[in-house]
Amino acid sequence: MAITGRAVAVAFAAVPVVLAAGALAAWAAWAAVALVVLLIVADTALAPSARGVRLERSGDTSVRLGETARVELVVANPSGRALRGVLRDAWPPSTGARPSRHRLRVPGGERRRLETVLEPQRRGDHASAGVTVRSLGPMGLAARQATHTVPWVLRALPPFHSRRHLPGKLARLRELDGRTSALVRGQGSEFDSLREYVPGDDVRSIDWRATARRESVVVRTWRPERDRRILLVLDTGRTSAGRVGDVPRLDHSMDAALLLAALAAKAGDRVDLLAFDRRVRAQVRTRGRGTSVPTMVQAMAPLEAELVESDPAAMASAVLGGQGRSRRLVVLLTDLNASALEEGLLPMLPALTSRHTVMLAAVSDPVVESMAAERGDARAVYRSAAARRTMADRRRVTAELRKRGVEVVDAPPETIAPALADAYIAMKAQGRL
Amino acid sequence: MTTAPPSQAGARWRRARGPIAVVAVLVLLSFVVSLGARPERTGSLEPEATTPEGSRALVNILEEQGSEVTVARDSAAALDAASGDALVVLAASHRLTRGELERLAASDADVLAVRPTGPALRLLAPGVEMVGRGDDVTPEPECRLPAARAAGAADAGGESYSGGDSGCYPVDGGEGLVVAERPDGAATTVLGATAPLTNERLGREGNAALMLNLASGRDVVWFLPDVPAQSGQSTVWDLLPLPLRWSVVPLGAALVLLALWRGRRLGPLVTERLPVVVRAAETTEGRARLYAARRARDRASAALRADTAERLRTAVGLAADADADAVAAAVALRTGDDPAQVRRLLYGAPEGGDVADDAALAALADDLDRLEGRLSPGA
Repeated sequence: MAITGRAVAVAFAAVPVVLAAGALAAWAAWAAVALVVLLIVADTALAPSARGVRLERSGDTSVRLGETARVELVVANPSGRALRGVLRDAWPPSTGARPSRHRLRVPGGERRRLETVLEPQRRGDHASAGVTVRSLGPMGLAARQATHTVPWVLRALPPFHSRRHLPGKLARLRELDGRTSALVRGQGSEFDSLREYVPGDDVRSIDWRATARRESVVVRTWRPERDRRILLVLDTGRTSAGRVGDVPRLDHSMDAALLLAALAAKAGDRVDLLAFDRRVRAQVRTRGRGTSVPTMVQAMAPLEAELVESDPAAMASAVLGGQGRSRRLVVLLTDLNASALEEGLLPMLPALTSRHTVMLAAVSDPVVESMAAERGDARAVYRSAAARRTMADRRRVTAELRKRGVEVVDAPPETIAPALADAYIAMKAQGRL
Repeated sequence: MTTAPPSQAGARWRRARGPIAVVAVLVLLSFVVSLGARPERTGSLEPEATTPEGSRALVNILEEQGSEVTVARDSAAALDAASGDALVVLAASHRLTRGELERLAASDADVLAVRPTGPALRLLAPGVEMVGRGDDVTPEPECRLPAARAAGAADAGGESYSGGDSGCYPVDGGEGLVVAERPDGAATTVLGATAPLTNERLGREGNAALMLNLASGRDVVWFLPDVPAQSGQSTVWDLLPLPLRWSVVPLGAALVLLALWRGRRLGPLVTERLPVVVRAAETTEGRARLYAARRARDRASAALRADTAERLRTAVGLAADADADAVAAAVALRTGDDPAQVRRLLYGAPEGGDVADDAALAALADDLDRLEGRLSPGA
């Protein structure tokens, strides 16, 4: 039950009527109030039931962050009377649902389709909060109101901004593959095929044995190794919760991980994902060939950084206890936090590096860089000193990690994804996978 | 909507009990505060007031001298108490109606009228007229009235009167104190000033003596009429025309509907789990604030020097285990500076504590920047 502005206007209109009634004012006052109440009650009674409305949803279930999704709502009016009024399709504020209110006009026994456009501001699963129907009476004085639960979940996927780097990195990968028209010999180490010599080929790659069997000169081509296994480990602990720019470090890590996964999938490697802080938050295992990126995006979508200290020992055992005994490239996406790494990860490294190739990617904060350059008054110099101290700590940890055979990629948020991809391509070119 | 009824009632009670408790505490508090809290009366010649213009001191002195002082707030009480041999001290006669003044004049009580109004003067002291309004002076009695002669000079300067049976305290053309006989035999004493009765001036000159002499041991009825209430009068509400009065009913109904209209929300509020917002640079900024708060110049300068030395070491191509002298020598070779000076700049004095104040720290930072800039001009 709800009152409309029109009912209020009618009630106010009764005031001058009473003023003009003269000696009959007392009678007129009570009559006016009774009339207004009667009209409101009658209008409520004549309004179609708001609870009886049937609602059905359809539409998008996932959307990439920054893009818009459409969710439709079919409103069926089973009653004989025309349904007029307002409908609110409620979503959490960060989903940016538009419009917040729909005008309803459904003739008796018919259905109408309403569309809500959502533009989520945050990654993760967003559940519809409820649909409130306000059904007006024929005079528009009062309305019946009910809230229905019409469940729907929209998953906002990581934006994958770095996918614009993908074509460029794939081109570099093809160069390694020897499939490009640039006649650059593949730099891989795996034997691929024999083909006829073309001027420009490296004479060292001529296969004399094969040449002897034919009339023409034959060269060997090489290709990078395929079917290598890569494990992306996302640290979802407290160090990933800090915001670099306006986005948590975790999201930058996801972006870099997705580019690497897409690249590796194209290069024929198999990519697995593990999200870990004190326990496994998400896990993706690729079975056989095939692109695993969509699965990975889905697995990453609901991940949030937890405010707990990550447990590298448990992480290491999760990595080591994974499927197969084969050598893998383990890519840790975390922060170069001196204390956290020195106490946590460094003692666990020998166990990891003895079995796998380990790479660590960390997003550095441009704010620290700009702080380091601050000059002027004493406060600015103190800030600069603190920033330089942080940078020195990072360098020290990086040096320590490199000494133990870990490849370290440390880059600001804009370049972390291409930098990680480059590091991967370089490793592949050297046959170190 | 789908919750079970008992838990819903419980939830409603849980939600309501906070506000109910607050209201209950407020009611209790206001009740306790109102207990025993009587507004203190103040004003000119108020017998309970301790303010300068009140008269509590005089009332106390009269009571100590054996007079029984009755405070009357309306004319009925005053006439009641004035029976017998009592002196009615009439202050604020402007608050009395003509009828009340007439009844007082017809009584057999002696009256001391303090600065009476024109009608009061005519009724209570026939034949006395106000002739002037003088300054606040302290005249001598100069009369035969024993009460005034015994008291001596008093602050009787104010309104002055002429006529009456006897007068004292001459002030511009009249007298400050006049005694007149009323037709029925009682006497009215007219005093042209309030000063002799007030707490502030009671102790001056013969003020207190004059008042005590005027009372002369008799009981005193202190008649300070309250501001007349609008008893039996019609209120503003009654004066409004009938239709205007009755239009309040639909107006109230309209306001209630307005509240209902604006108060009804279209469905419940939607909650959202908000993420933690921590800036990644927070720890570094915290460290900077700590440095600044503790004036940690030694640590700050060490951090700046270590960072610059490390970068210069890589710039001149030395290994990580190169010692301070080697780095300083290599850098000095490239820049042409004195190696000892470079070493001092990069690593500080051996005994430490060479950064005396914040200005020196800022200068050190600039020097390090300059050295680095000279080594790599392109950067």
